[in-house]
Amino acid sequence: MDGYPLGSLDHNVPLLVVSGLSSSHDQPEPPPKAKGKANGEGVLLRSDLPPLEGKEASFLESFFERVNERGKSWTVMTREEPYRVRVKTVGRTFTLPPRRATLPETIEPLTTAPVLHSPFSPLSPSSALYPDGLMNAEWIRKHQEEVPSVFICFHTLTSDPKTATLQDNRLKADLNGIRATLLESGYKTRLVVIILGDQEARATLTAEVIQDRLEYIRRGTGLDPKSIFYIPSQDTQVELKRVMDSILTLLYNTAIEYYRDLGRHARKKRSRGVVPQPTLPPTSGTSQTLSLPDWNFRYDFKSAIFAEFRQEIDAAVRSFEQAYEILLGQDVLDIIPSWSPRWNEARLLADIISIRCLRLHLWMGQTSLAVRRWQAHRDRIGDFVDRRGRGTNNYGWQAWESRWATVMANLIELVQVPGLGPMTMTIYLPPEKALFGERLQPWELLHHTGYWYRIAARHLGARRALAHRIPDDDRGAPDASPASRVASKAIRYDTYMCPPPHEEYPLDGTGVNHAQLIIDCLLNARSQFQARKQHRIAAEISLECAREMATMKSWNEVLAMLRPLWEDKSFRSEWWLDISEDILWVMRRAAAETGRADIVVAIDWELMDKRYTRKQNWHYDLGKSLDGVSSTVKPFITISDDLASSFVAASFAFRSKEGRAGETCLAQLSLKSDAHQVATPVTLASIRIEFEGHLKPITIVHDSSAPSTNSSGESPSVSAVSLTERLPESNEKDAYLTGTCDLTLKPGHRRVLEMDIPLREPGQVSASRVILTYKADAFELDYTLSLSELGKVGAWYVHGLAKPRLSRPDGHILQIQPRPPKMKLALVEPMDQYYANEPIPLRISLLNEEHDAANVKLDVRIVGKTIPRFRVEAGEHKREVDAAEEESQVTGLTLGRVASSSSMEVSIHLDPAPAPTVYDIEVQADYHLESDAATPIFQVLPVHLNVVNAFEANYDLMPRLHPDAWPSLFDYEDVQDLTEGEVIPAKGLAQQWCLVCHYASFATEELDVVGLDLLVTGVTPGGRCQVVNQPEFSADGMPVAPQKMYEARFDLVAQKATLDDRHPVAIDLAFAVRWRRRQRQRQQQPTGGESGTVNVTTMTVGQYMVLGTEPRVLASVLHSSPEQAGLVRLDITIENPSSHFLTFGLAMEPSDAFAFSGPKQTTMHLLPMSRRTKTYRLLPLVRGVFIRPGLVVRDKYFQKVLRVIPTEGMKIDKDGLLVWVPLAPEG
Amino acid sequence: MSAAIPSVACLGVIGRNNNPLHISIFPSYDPLANAFTPIRNPLQFSLLLSSTIDVFDLRSKNSTASGDYGLLHAIDDRLAAYGFETNTGVRMVCIVDMRGRRVEAGGSGAVGVGAGLRDAELKPVFRAMQSAYVRLLQNPFYDPDEHAPLGGKGGKRITSKKFGDAMKRIGEAWTPGVTTL
Repeated sequence: MDGYPLGSLDHNVPLLVVSGLSSSHDQPEPPPKAKGKANGEGVLLRSDLPPLEGKEASFLESFFERVNERGKSWTVMTREEPYRVRVKTVGRTFTLPPRRATLPETIEPLTTAPVLHSPFSPLSPSSALYPDGLMNAEWIRKHQEEVPSVFICFHTLTSDPKTATLQDNRLKADLNGIRATLLESGYKTRLVVIILGDQEARATLTAEVIQDRLEYIRRGTGLDPKSIFYIPSQDTQVELKRVMDSILTLLYNTAIEYYRDLGRHARKKRSRGVVPQPTLPPTSGTSQTLSLPDWNFRYDFKSAIFAEFRQEIDAAVRSFEQAYEILLGQDVLDIIPSWSPRWNEARLLADIISIRCLRLHLWMGQTSLAVRRWQAHRDRIGDFVDRRGRGTNNYGWQAWESRWATVMANLIELVQVPGLGPMTMTIYLPPEKALFGERLQPWELLHHTGYWYRIAARHLGARRALAHRIPDDDRGAPDASPASRVASKAIRYDTYMCPPPHEEYPLDGTGVNHAQLIIDCLLNARSQFQARKQHRIAAEISLECAREMATMKSWNEVLAMLRPLWEDKSFRSEWWLDISEDILWVMRRAAAETGRADIVVAIDWELMDKRYTRKQNWHYDLGKSLDGVSSTVKPFITISDDLASSFVAASFAFRSKEGRAGETCLAQLSLKSDAHQVATPVTLASIRIEFEGHLKPITIVHDSSAPSTNSSGESPSVSAVSLTERLPESNEKDAYLTGTCDLTLKPGHRRVLEMDIPLREPGQVSASRVILTYKADAFELDYTLSLSELGKVGAWYVHGLAKPRLSRPDGHILQIQPRPPKMKLALVEPMDQYYANEPIPLRISLLNEEHDAANVKLDVRIVGKTIPRFRVEAGEHKREVDAAEEESQVTGLTLGRVASSSSMEVSIHLDPAPAPTVYDIEVQADYHLESDAATPIFQVLPVHLNVVNAFEANYDLMPRLHPDAWPSLFDYEDVQDLTEGEVIPAKGLAQQWCLVCHYASFATEELDVVGLDLLVTGVTPGGRCQVVNQPEFSADGMPVAPQKMYEARFDLVAQKATLDDRHPVAIDLAFAVRWRRRQRQRQQQPTGGESGTVNVTTMTVGQYMVLGTEPRVLASVLHSSPEQAGLVRLDITIENPSSHFLTFGLAMEPSDAFAFSGPKQTTMHLLPMSRRTKTYRLLPLVRGVFIRPGLVVRDKYFQKVLRVIPTEGMKIDKDGLLVWVPLAPEG
Repeated sequence: MSAAIPSVACLGVIGRNNNPLHISIFPSYDPLANAFTPIRNPLQFSLLLSSTIDVFDLRSKNSTASGDYGLLHAIDDRLAAYGFETNTGVRMVCIVDMRGRRVEAGGSGAVGVGAGLRDAELKPVFRAMQSAYVRLLQNPFYDPDEHAPLGGKGGKRITSKKFGDAMKRIGEAWTPGVTTL
């Protein structure tokens, strides 16, 4: 856009001149004076009133500045925008350009009065266009910058009543003067007065006074009511701005009216159809003047410009197109000779019209039409230049083509075409509605600016190519070459908006820097493509840029441009080989020039690959890579396959999927060189293979003396490499395996290294990478190749066969199983069952069945709910662990050396478990053989112990009649002296009970019970309880068979300490069985000590309540001797432990089964704390059966039947008491 | 009087891994030399094809259901790239030279001389390319995974001569208005 004359392309908007805001703008008065020399005096508008000062004035000034800035925008003016104007702020004076040009002073005076024309008209001799110029940008600038549509005067309204009239009169006179000058000048500029009221005016003057004064001024100056504004002093700047906005909106309409008048005037002149005569007939040049079509062109052009001032887009397009047609028609451009400067002027005009048309189309959203218009202008001008000018096959034309493309890009940017910004991510806009469905050329859809810049860059390239074809004769400076040549140059070279040949591409000197122009364009384009995520095109442009930079020899820039492409592997990773190859070569050159050895070598390494096309005369020798590259130190270069691809393909495979520690596994590393056939064989210095997992890295060093299996042709050479293990003392991590082999890689050749890798530790091992080290005189290189490509089928090569055997997927992974342990662990003489409450001894034997002596360590780990204390013994080594929760262990108990096929015994003693539980014991022997200390081996013996209770029991507590008499409340003799301090014997009530225990052995074998105990574990305070009778056992004990019930009876006596205590007593009992395992039959070893120990299993019986306060009835029976014919005495004892006097009724029913003596019905009175017994004597009539005495005891007061409780030899069912009558003795 | 009509300048098949599978280049008419020469060199065509991947990626976000992308973008005032994507992610690109061939004006063959091109006019090309590709896939010796390894990078090019011939035939036979190839 820059080549076009200033102002020729501006977005035309009405011009307002604001005067009187500050005096600082009065300086630029001289220029009109200077101009006046040729064109006559300008029209000076001046006022003597002082300019406005103060805050408001400066605010208004900056406000107008902002409005003016906005007026310069090229974006489309929408309906919402109230106005868009340019504002020029001046002081009190302003000079309008002269209306009429003066006659040049040199000519002779004329006879008739000359007809003077505007100084911009080709009719005036002083104009640059005189006599046959068409139009120039001066005229547009005159309207845009010099002649305002509205002249605004700012004044104040003084509030001082004394000077008010005087001031108003002065103002009136001033305005009248300006008005008169304007009228006289012939300009139709509207005069507008804006009067600012000051702060005081608001306070002191009433609205009516102000109104009157304004009316007075207006009438006195003959101004339109619309042309005078009064702004009372505003509180805030925001309000002032609002008021000014509304005034400008009104004035905008006035301004539009002004331009409409001008446009009408131009059209009127066109319709006249007369060719105006110049002030003076031309005397120089062709003495040709403008013809009628020329004038029509002028008028149309003017109408179009005025329409643009009015923002009437349609009218503007129409007039521009009309003007354009006339200009390129057969009457105007066709008849201008191409050597004339007017030819280029006309071309410029055509360009300007086209650009303005394009802008109008873009404003209207007719994007495709705009492209079509762009194309049409290019084609038309091309056609003209071919036909009438210097042809299109020269640099000038290409320069213009590139300019024309840039113009489009700039237009799109400046107009801000909606929907095409970088944020929208659109590449091109769909055609507008008017062209929908039409057959369009693809590029007629408006593409984003990146495309246009690219086209421009391409034309710049063509321009350079053509410029370089300029013959040397034409490249000399014009003053140094003969005049004839200068003349011929003018004819042969198109210099429209571009430098002549001697500047474009001079013989000596720099000339036009085409490469820089191209790079600028390309960078513009690239940023656009990048913003739309078109990274591949951006990369392509980067490459083009780099090539241009290479021509300028700015190698660092080339590297900076290409390095990102190289590093992110664009194109290479997607196998666009030809593209990546191109990038690599350019980059290599740049790297070589800048001395970047690492990049040079990396690229050389990459380019060895025969995927890339072979470059003729290239050495393809890695050793010569750095020839010609200056480098001070010997570089050590590290690259990997994720940065630079490799011509060496590596794969690694283990022979088998699984191996065992302590054994070896065959593995193959295959290296295939895909270098060009002509390339020099590469001899690697060493190879290092690294693994993930417990496998030491392998280093293979080149050894040229090693027998190289010189296989021919296709079949790979398989060479066995023997590995030796290196174990540096300092750090075991640095251990590695080494071997030697011939490591020369010939192009197209596959070298397979087969090695036997000793496996040491178990686990998964995978080959992760291989590092190839290459050493040349000039540099050293480490190239890292990844081997861990998942899913790749491992290939196994056999000597002599070209094709490998495909073994399995993931051939680089090996599972190393632990070495199979041959140490036998066993439990010696395990018991069938272990019981709670007995100590558990476990004996474990270790039998070394390995072929060699082993050094063993033992781990014992017990898992369970609660682990008792245990101890592990092995010869002199002993370890004890305290009780713990959940888990407990002994680790690393050294057992020492166990010779081959000898054994050892270890014992574990667990303390008795208090309750049934489960133990999981894991005994692990860690050992290594003396012959192979590096391989750890372990053997595990799991032992599951289920510890159960040996006995279970159930219980029954039955009442018995206590034989002793109850203590009496009135017994004074027993009252003791408490001072003695001895244990007071119990004095309270006593009861006797019998606990019947039914117990059974849950053991799996017969056990010996050596004793049974009843333990009173708890009694409520105030009570006593003791066992008075319990079963006795012999010393050998009683054999107890499994799953069989046994009974044991215990008699207890419970007693309260005092008689006064009325609370019941709770007693807690426990039943303990003392038992031992039976002595075994085959008991040779002295382990009997353990099996002979007596274990005690204690079972809680539970809690019982005794000695309540309720009365109870106890029946006891006494059988007489058999001689007395089976007489039975039945005692009914009623106890009254309460503190009440109770009365009971006893009734005995007669029965068929027995006869009885005793009261049939009686009443018993019981004192508190007493008991009484009633005795019945029964004579059973039957034998060997239960008889049922129908005895009822009734509480007289409560009328409640009491239950009669049986004691020994009796029982009870739901109907009552039953008494056993034994069989009569025989005989 | 002769006029320029569009012709195919290059046919490209791009694999799932954005790798080039096939590139066929066709000569365009050069009025200066009055001969048929390719308008760009193979490297430039490679760059042009790879640049279409960006457009495919950009447009696939607001994707068209059919896979026919129509005009991808214009390259300059002669070349324009049109695209099509199969269900399996294989992309077919047709670079059209809008002035690639010469016809005598007034000849009946020229449909709308110099009047641009509709997207639909390229449909036969893509249809034919796709059926050629399907025929290639039917060949048991053609392993698609070798040409676009799953999840991998790159891939081999198509070497089938039959496929190449089919591309050549398509590129040479197409002119605007042709409905079947």
